[in-house]
Amino acid sequence: MKKFLTQFRALLWQALQVEWSNSERWLSPLLFSATMIILFVFSFGKVEPKFLPQLYIAATFITAFLSLQIAFSRVLEPDMQDKVFDQLRTYPISPSAWFLSKYTIVILLGVLILLPTLFLSNLFLNEGPVSFLSGSILIIGLLALLSLGALGVLLSTMMLRSNAKQILYPLIYFPLTTPVLLSAVESSHAVLVDAKVLSDLMSSWLGLLVIFGIMYFTLCLLLFGELVKPE
Amino acid sequence: MIDARKQDRLTMTLGFVAFLFAAACWFYALKLAPSDEAQGEVYRIMFFHVPSAFMAFLASGALLFTSGWTLFKRSPTAALWSKACAEVGLMFTAITLITGSIWGRPTWGVWWTWDARLTTTLILALLYAGYLIFTSSMAPGPQRDRMAAALGLVIAIDVPIIYKSVTWWRTLHQPPSLMRAGGSTMDPEMKNILYVCFFAMLFVAIWLIWTRAVNLKLQAAIEEHSHQAHSH
Repeated sequence: MKKFLTQFRALLWQALQVEWSNSERWLSPLLFSATMIILFVFSFGKVEPKFLPQLYIAATFITAFLSLQIAFSRVLEPDMQDKVFDQLRTYPISPSAWFLSKYTIVILLGVLILLPTLFLSNLFLNEGPVSFLSGSILIIGLLALLSLGALGVLLSTMMLRSNAKQILYPLIYFPLTTPVLLSAVESSHAVLVDAKVLSDLMSSWLGLLVIFGIMYFTLCLLLFGELVKPE
Repeated sequence: MIDARKQDRLTMTLGFVAFLFAAACWFYALKLAPSDEAQGEVYRIMFFHVPSAFMAFLASGALLFTSGWTLFKRSPTAALWSKACAEVGLMFTAITLITGSIWGRPTWGVWWTWDARLTTTLILALLYAGYLIFTSSMAPGPQRDRMAAALGLVIAIDVPIIYKSVTWWRTLHQPPSLMRAGGSTMDPEMKNILYVCFFAMLFVAIWLIWTRAVNLKLQAAIEEHSHQAHSH
């Protein structure tokens, strides 16, 4: 256990240093996010107040989802330089520690993108006096992030060796995450439009979101070891 | 050589029997099955559409099994079987979408709608296509087999979602008619014909997967032989 934690800490620290070494790495998804929201505002034009919550949910989740892809797809990029990835595969490193370090950095980046996106969406899209920002929306966003992050790490690792990753990533990642996105959107809709509390949603959309989080995390943790095994 | 010829003849005979059986079933379904009270004659496409949809799902079940086999047994042959399952699965998913669209036009008034089951079936088609592009975009070897197997396992998870989508989401698509709480709502004669069509399609699907897997094995052997010849 101690060895596992040491490996996890070392790998996480290395990943953090890489992400922090260049502000472009964590700033570009944020700028992309802000641009997307502005585009949403322009493309929808004047919206009737009763449709604003719906627009807020759709625009926020789509923006966060697309911005996260930039971060996810780049998480393993530094490992590909100087054959670090191939060297790491030959070391006696626990695949679980490796996966968890990548997963943690993805979740950190995700939170860094999600929070400003929620705030900016509320700022730009909400014309009413009542704020759309709430703890419930944040919890739903974080739960979605747990599923998206696990799949993001697994598929990014898979695509490293593929020479068609530009087409494969959207072709595989987007369909697999559709149920997660749909559960997050429906849960948020129930909270914002139908004024439901989270505990009421556990037997429906929120429950599905939690199940997907657990399922994708477990599956990706187990399968990651197979992807990084040396040939 | 004689063995190969014998095997070819057996494969062709089995294929002929499978397709003849399927054709006879569809002829019976189209000409002799009773009309539906609500939908009239148009419902008959169901005898092609529903078995195709089941085969698309079953192919993903087979993909799950062969992917697991590849991962746990490190079998390159299982990886070829996985590819064959994905190809046949994609074919049946495409047939399901096309026949569903043809059925949807007179009953719903549209060729396509973003209904839950239609969307999730389209997602399944995209995933099969993604799986096949992924396998062809990597160099052959144990690593490709392992990665494709991992992807196969993840894709197979999508199938229960597709099946449950009709009950989870508000949908235009009719709820399951065969496997539902309280028993089937279908006319017994229609149900029996559907079961026979289902069996015929299963026979066709197994034959297609088997033939494709044999072809892929041959292709792999030829590539291996050619690689060895070049290295010498």
